Amino acid sequence: MSREKDAANYAVVFFAALSVILLIFPASKMAHTARIAVSYSFYPSLHYGAKYGHFVRNVPANFLALLETDQENRALKDKVRSLEIQLQNQAAQVSESDRLAREMRLSRGLPWTGSWARIINKTPADWYGSFFIDKGSEEGIKVNDTVLGMQGERAGLAGRVLEVYPKFSKVLLLTNSAASSVCAIEPSGFEALVEGKGTWLLKVNYVPEESALAVGAELATSPGGLLFPPGIYVGKVTKVYPRESFMNFMTADVAPAVDVNTLKEVFVLKRSLPEDLAGRAEKK
Amino acid sequence: MSFILEIFLYLATGGFYWWWTQNVTFFGLAPNFIFAAALCAAILSGPVKAIAWGFFLGLYADMLGSSMFGGYALAYTLMAYGVYVMKRHFDLDSPFSQLVAALALSWMCMLFYQGLSLSFSHLNPIGLKIFLAEPFLNALAVPVVFQVFYGFKRRFGIL
Repeated sequence: MSREKDAANYAVVFFAALSVILLIFPASKMAHTARIAVSYSFYPSLHYGAKYGHFVRNVPANFLALLETDQENRALKDKVRSLEIQLQNQAAQVSESDRLAREMRLSRGLPWTGSWARIINKTPADWYGSFFIDKGSEEGIKVNDTVLGMQGERAGLAGRVLEVYPKFSKVLLLTNSAASSVCAIEPSGFEALVEGKGTWLLKVNYVPEESALAVGAELATSPGGLLFPPGIYVGKVTKVYPRESFMNFMTADVAPAVDVNTLKEVFVLKRSLPEDLAGRAEKK
Repeated sequence: MSFILEIFLYLATGGFYWWWTQNVTFFGLAPNFIFAAALCAAILSGPVKAIAWGFFLGLYADMLGSSMFGGYALAYTLMAYGVYVMKRHFDLDSPFSQLVAALALSWMCMLFYQGLSLSFSHLNPIGLKIFLAEPFLNALAVPVVFQVFYGFKRRFGIL
């Protein structure tokens, strides 16, 4: 009994010390290695489970979709033929437009590129904090890539990539208490800091008094914030708190553009971020 | 052989928790099967193995979240040791005592994790909804998980 008690004491000291080291040095090589080692235990569920579960769940729907696709395919073939003719007409106009843009030195905004990813895990204890997506470094996902979600017909900021593994990645939601983004309040363009609260709402801070912030005002990412590309819809102001007498700025609650409860897929933007922001993806 | 089966059980626990949270959550609530497995392993196993199970299941839970890495590992390690001490004074084999233990230990683990999070990262990681509802779900899950683990122990001699 005494030997068992000794063994228990040694074990608890050893594992507790190991946990404390991981807690105190979260960015150390040891913590990094532990993360990668534990990430392999996610493969049965997050990679294979999500992949084949999705396939099995969608078998009846896929069969129906196949029949519909066949009909759609015939209609589309006809449409393609007529569009081919239109395309040839448009090509001449596009080349004219390119030539004019070049001669008039007009800048042309580069479209965002990226890839769609499916959400494969949301943990109840961290519902508004993070989730996992089914794309990883093998698909070119990098740390700090911007993650967008679609709400109806509109894309909104969901968060950014926090950790990247070969076949899946962890996304830090904007609603996480540790997340924030510099935003511009439309239409005035005043910049303010939007922060997550760990709930379904965001908080906008440091809004100048003269900004006339009102309920319904929309917020979009600002060029001032380096992490996210400018112009992404972040949310809408739902409540403005009156200014405290000892402060010269206001705060407000913001309903996020993307509702994490209904989110199934996200779009991960691929950007060329500066070296220090790009982070390092996990190596295989 | 038993070591391989234990790894299988560990992965199966994580896989089952993943499946449950993806398909059977109501209002974002689900029993924390990782916690339930850590508690059941602590009840069924010897102290060293129980503590190791607590630690590794805690790491798994840490990986699922975005807060501190190592927080749940510490909480479940200490819980396993606490259960080892408690086992000598209480009978934890009956469903009712498991239910009560799960309820109390869920809250203790949450408060401990909350305290760690506030001191290490100044964040409040556990929502009120989870804090109020999850311990009851855990309490219902633990006797079931215990029977499954007990079956594994009896049939394959693991844990």
